[in-house]
Amino acid sequence: MSDKSAIEKIKEASEHLRGSLKESLQDEITGAIRDDDQAVVKFHGMYMQDDRDRREERAAKRLERLYSYMIRLRLPGGLLTPEQWLAVYDVAGEYGTGVIKITSRQTLQLHGILKSEIKPTIQAFQLAKLDSIATCGDINRNVLCSSHPGQSPLHAEIFSYADKISRLLMPKTKAYYEIWLDEEVLLDKKEEEDPLYQERYLPRKFKIGIAIPPNNDVDALANDIGLIAIIEDEKLKGFNIAVGGGLSSTHGNPETYPRLATVIGFVDTEEKLLKAVYEVVTIQRDFGNRSDRKRARLKYTLDTMGVEAFVKELEKRTGFSLEPAKPYTFTSRGDYYGWKQSVDGKWHYTLLVENGRITDDETQALKTALREVALTGKALFHFTCTQNVILSGVAEADKPVLDEILVRFGVKAKTEESSLIRRNAMACVAFPTCPLALAEAQRYLPSLIDKIEPLLAKYELEKEPITIRMTGCPNGCARSYAAEIGLVGTAYGKYNLQLGGDRVGERLNAIYKENIGEAEILAELEPLFAAYATNRKTGETFGDFMLRRNG
Amino acid sequence: MNAATGRLTGPKEELLQQLVASASTEELYWIQGYVAALLDRSGQSETTALIKPEKITLVYGTETGNSKKVATDLAARARKENLSVKLVSLDQYRLTDLTKEENLFVVISTQGDGEPPVAAQKFYEHIHLNGFRLDQLRYGVLALGDSSYPLFCKTGEDVDTQLQKLGAQRAIPLRKCDLDFEADANKWYDELVKVVRSPRSVQLPQAATAISSATTLRKKAVYEGTVLSHTELTDHGSNKNIWHIEIQAEDVAYEAGDAIGIIPENDRQVVQKIIADSGLTDDTVFTYKEEQYTLHELLLKKLSLQNLSEKFSEKFAVITGAHVPKQKSDLLSLLEQYPVKGKEKWQELIYAVPALAPRIYTIASAPAMHGNEIHLTVEKHHFENNGKAQTGLCTGWMEAWKTGDTVSFFVQKNKRFRLPASGAAPLIMIGPGTGIAPFRSFIGERTGTGANGYNWLFFAGEKYTTDFLYQTDLQDMYHTGTLHKVSVAFEKEFAGEKTITDLIRKEAKSIAALLESGAYLYISGEKEPMSREVEKLLLDIITEHITGAEEAAIALLEQWKNEGRYCKDVY
Repeated sequence: MSDKSAIEKIKEASEHLRGSLKESLQDEITGAIRDDDQAVVKFHGMYMQDDRDRREERAAKRLERLYSYMIRLRLPGGLLTPEQWLAVYDVAGEYGTGVIKITSRQTLQLHGILKSEIKPTIQAFQLAKLDSIATCGDINRNVLCSSHPGQSPLHAEIFSYADKISRLLMPKTKAYYEIWLDEEVLLDKKEEEDPLYQERYLPRKFKIGIAIPPNNDVDALANDIGLIAIIEDEKLKGFNIAVGGGLSSTHGNPETYPRLATVIGFVDTEEKLLKAVYEVVTIQRDFGNRSDRKRARLKYTLDTMGVEAFVKELEKRTGFSLEPAKPYTFTSRGDYYGWKQSVDGKWHYTLLVENGRITDDETQALKTALREVALTGKALFHFTCTQNVILSGVAEADKPVLDEILVRFGVKAKTEESSLIRRNAMACVAFPTCPLALAEAQRYLPSLIDKIEPLLAKYELEKEPITIRMTGCPNGCARSYAAEIGLVGTAYGKYNLQLGGDRVGERLNAIYKENIGEAEILAELEPLFAAYATNRKTGETFGDFMLRRNG
Repeated sequence: MNAATGRLTGPKEELLQQLVASASTEELYWIQGYVAALLDRSGQSETTALIKPEKITLVYGTETGNSKKVATDLAARARKENLSVKLVSLDQYRLTDLTKEENLFVVISTQGDGEPPVAAQKFYEHIHLNGFRLDQLRYGVLALGDSSYPLFCKTGEDVDTQLQKLGAQRAIPLRKCDLDFEADANKWYDELVKVVRSPRSVQLPQAATAISSATTLRKKAVYEGTVLSHTELTDHGSNKNIWHIEIQAEDVAYEAGDAIGIIPENDRQVVQKIIADSGLTDDTVFTYKEEQYTLHELLLKKLSLQNLSEKFSEKFAVITGAHVPKQKSDLLSLLEQYPVKGKEKWQELIYAVPALAPRIYTIASAPAMHGNEIHLTVEKHHFENNGKAQTGLCTGWMEAWKTGDTVSFFVQKNKRFRLPASGAAPLIMIGPGTGIAPFRSFIGERTGTGANGYNWLFFAGEKYTTDFLYQTDLQDMYHTGTLHKVSVAFEKEFAGEKTITDLIRKEAKSIAALLESGAYLYISGEKEPMSREVEKLLLDIITEHITGAEEAAIALLEQWKNEGRYCKDVY
């Protein structure tokens, strides 16, 4: 095996994720942190970024790049109390760009935090019992769970697993508390011995999602571990376990590819579930590729070992055999917009947040509206994997109060009048802050949809909830490979057009046209929409039609 | 001591070895400064004069930061080895300098599909243009890349080929390195050092103009220079507008610490309005200070038209015979109310109007670093007059300067603000805001001459992200070891100290220790209230840590002032 990658050496030398972060914070001559610390800080839920639009101009001004930090919260299942929402609102008002961003993994992140503002931000979060531990970096990230409480009477029970798994896979290091919260330096190093992550952590990021069929809103199979709740006779019987999902790839590197997870079996108890999840992680820790980061995700470990050998190793480690997977069906993948009532009589309102950006703009005062909602204390805040918000657990009597707020600030109109394609759309952050971006995404997708909507209308396809997803690079943060129309950035203004994915996240799309700009994208789509409108079979989705057409 | 070589031997050597072995870095600097001060006092500093090293320009084009890291590390090493290195990021490199460079070494990476880094795009395009030759240049290229891409190190190859096509001499062969670049970078550096330490094989053209020595120049001789660049240093969102201006003047001589005087031009529209109202023509000739000028010349370049004193309004009343109230005023508004007609009255008026006074700006460049260039750090002056927001005449005029403009100026010597004779003496430089200008010059001069004394800079501004003047210059100086400590304060967007006085207070002990070791202390910037507050604080620090009594502190500071160890350039 070839040499360990540079990042591996940094992790091991970091003394459990401390690195020289304390010193980096003291470097007053720069708003950046030291090179190695840029890798370490990810494990604390932060990325160092810079405003790429401003690089050239700042260099001419003899100013360094405009460095700032993105801080991402750890919210298993994506749930906040109204008090916590207000705390996040206040922090966002004080530091950073002011925009609160809902991610495609059910959590919140703030952008544009300056180095001097990191500690006050983390400290304010801590007061609200929020943290950003392990939300980035080579470690288990935020754990997903189907978000809508009305989806199943068993939602609360299943939902609790997100938190259990998150806690099971938390790193033991106290570095976060020492560095950001000024807690005393740990003297007894035994306290943070970490049997799971040891000193090397994982070879690459690690993602887990729990889906409650028939809705695959979490895109379970796009995760390293996808768990599928199996419900029979209105009881939770256990979970199917799928492993090896992951959508990132690298342009021009055929050794990399997006892959959906493979269902390997079923477990029936909590104990077994947690044991199995834990040992999948240890297999990846021990067998994962630590020399080539582009081939380090679990999906490559799995394909290198073979599924059979992988399961054998897992069973050896857990000491029990997996049962055969239980049947399940996904029929949808998305959010239930508008008011919905659950069997316990509570109401839940799902509202559209375009690309997950919560801010006030000319069409709606979304940020203000959500503050007003939080101030009533009448609803919980759930975040979905399609970057939307569910105001949940509202009593019948409180519904009119919240409804009035949503109407007053234009939120209801935006949610209910937006086209289906817009409601199902998703884009990653990309320019100007994401260092990986090759092309625009969230700043651009809304205007592209403006141009796609009339084409759909022309062929009377407005009622088709076609999924469109855009990412600024091939890493797939907005899961563009698992969409009916995927746009993957290749260069500024250019995208690979990917078609033929299904609507529920069980089949990836494929490249249809490489490296094309807006005019060509629209020119390619229009005849396909026309053909679909004429030739589709009953109930056939656009993605399925494209598959049938192109084989 | 061995008298012939000056080398310590026997017990003295042992004593020194012991002392040095147990000393911290800070203590070593203290010792260095202490010895330097001793040498200074005994007038022996000249014996430590250093050989002037050959000048190298090391440029880098970086996307991920690797090229920058390599170039910075190499520059730091080179400076330790007494080579004079100018380190510049390619997005800050002035392309017009290329035809003047003699030793250019390039560290450059290649992006994905063989593209240059964005920061090097303009340089890359420039060297692919025709129409100029680089016969004077010798060069070397270190190419960084990732061998998993097909066009491995393409940009480095292109630069290497292209420079040769333009007539430059390839001094060392192109070296390509992969992701683990360290060993290759070191080999490349060794070759580079060998080359620049050996005599050149290319015949250099004679230098265009020999710089005449300062003493042979007429006092206040007026020079003409060309504006090379003109960029705002402060970023959007700053409450200030501060410019960095570079002027090239072939025959000018100055020293670090000097200033230049610039005579501004009046607003051309105002001049035209006054002439139109006067009934005279642009080319009407008047006598002024025993010379002949046209009216247009006088109004544009010689006479002060704005913010005229009350005293002038009295003189104006006498000339016009009108009942003019005593007031501060502008010439145009006076003339609009009380017109002056006829050449005779105008000749009287011209004698009465005060002359346009030069504005003095401390130079921010260094002869040893920047050759025949003069760099300025100019803050736009905003003020209110009769409730109207106005811009200072000179800074408003300089704002409109463009690259290629010809400007005239004179050199204002500043003998009371000089670097110490000993290159080893420690410096404490306190320069908030535009006060940083002479210190950029000082550090540049010390870098250019290979002086290796400890340099400590104090800087303060309002907002970290917008007002950190010369941030990247300071970072380069710091990372290459020519600026040893930078202490900064910002009121906003910063976790550390808020003001320059907070900062000095925090560092009181270290400042006192360095002063005791013979450090030179400089203050530059606003006179009120900054320099007064800083001086008061320094007296407190000297009292507390050195003299114990305030009177003794005052006396000591006075003594340092007389010795040239405490200098102020305040305005």
